[in-house]
Amino acid sequence: MLAVEWTRALVASAPNAAVPALLLGGGALALTAWGWPAGTLGLGRSRLGLRVLGGLALAIVLLLPAAARVTSVPILPPALAAAAIAVSIGEEIAFRGALFSALEDAAGGPVAVIGSTALWTAAHALSHPAEFLPAVAAAGLLFGLWRLLCRDLVGPIIGHVIADLAL
Amino acid sequence: MKRAALLGLAAALYLAAAWTVAPGFYDGFAPPQPYNFVCPPPIAGANLPPKSGHLVIMVINGVSDANSAFTDDGQLVIGFLPGSFDVTGKTQVTVDITPVSPCPNPPGLHFSTNAYQVAADAPLIKSATLVMRYSNLATDPSFVYRADSPNGPWTNIGASPQAQVYTIDTKTDKLGYFAAGYPAGSVSKGGGGASNQILPVTIAVLIVLVLVGGLPVTILRRRQARRGAAIDEEDDEEP
Repeated sequence: MLAVEWTRALVASAPNAAVPALLLGGGALALTAWGWPAGTLGLGRSRLGLRVLGGLALAIVLLLPAAARVTSVPILPPALAAAAIAVSIGEEIAFRGALFSALEDAAGGPVAVIGSTALWTAAHALSHPAEFLPAVAAAGLLFGLWRLLCRDLVGPIIGHVIADLAL
Repeated sequence: MKRAALLGLAAALYLAAAWTVAPGFYDGFAPPQPYNFVCPPPIAGANLPPKSGHLVIMVINGVSDANSAFTDDGQLVIGFLPGSFDVTGKTQVTVDITPVSPCPNPPGLHFSTNAYQVAADAPLIKSATLVMRYSNLATDPSFVYRADSPNGPWTNIGASPQAQVYTIDTKTDKLGYFAAGYPAGSVSKGGGGASNQILPVTIAVLIVLVLVGGLPVTILRRRQARRGAAIDEEDDEEP
């Protein structure tokens, strides 16, 4: 996962490579969940309405600091918006889906939250300036706790996608 | 309750962490590099001092070469065409870009960017293209202004309507002091491709959706819980 994320970040900095890198990176990350049952990943269909609402609530939390301060945001062109959706879903499936489930099976819920948050933060080390990493880690912790306490990945996916699209 | 408290704590931790940095650190696209302010606004969070820039342009066959000078943080770029300078008696031209401190505060203008001094050791004789980046925390500038001194007077030298997001560009036939901003009391026209209201509207729509969607879900769950409790009671009453 780290290799995919770091490669994606390095390739995306090349001219005209951002969209393909995000699309391919998102697809590669989603492949890490290959073979895992949807229910184990937190993608079951029970209480779907509640999960969707939870995702919207997570998006509100993620966007609040920006909404309170930003005077303008860029409108993403369609290709970049599609790429943003792909990489958001891919990251959630990989970190809070497959990695979380593997760690939880091996060492329990708290280790899964801490481990997935640590790897998620490390994965952003090349694409983000160092001063952003505590906020990235805090977002990962929020998603990880949601995943553990609500047994749900739909909420983090929706929250992550909306946050990426809106900013 | 414990679950809600833990999630609330994590949300509070996130809000505190996100507040210390400039907004926009998600990974759908490259995060906007934080703007380095000479005079940071209170909402800027961590701020690094802006960088200066230095360029040596070679004189080839009596003509200054084409080249671009830029600050090391990329906040100002100025491009020169071949023969942009009067190079009489010179073998090279030196261009220096320096952030101006203290920040100029001219009457009737608001600057969205730092002011920069762009100086060369030869006179400019052809227009140069100037590109200035600005922060997503600042109001979008409408124009680039130029002055011969940081104390002014500042002259509007226009702005290209095709500027990229968070950049403003124009042409200048003189070097000197540059800053991007807008007339005080006017509403900024906004930068290319940006929207001033989309984020608050998005948040408002999400809150309405959560409230409107949450009410029926909560009522349904309570009804189901009551039914379950009633069935349990009936089961208990059976001999």
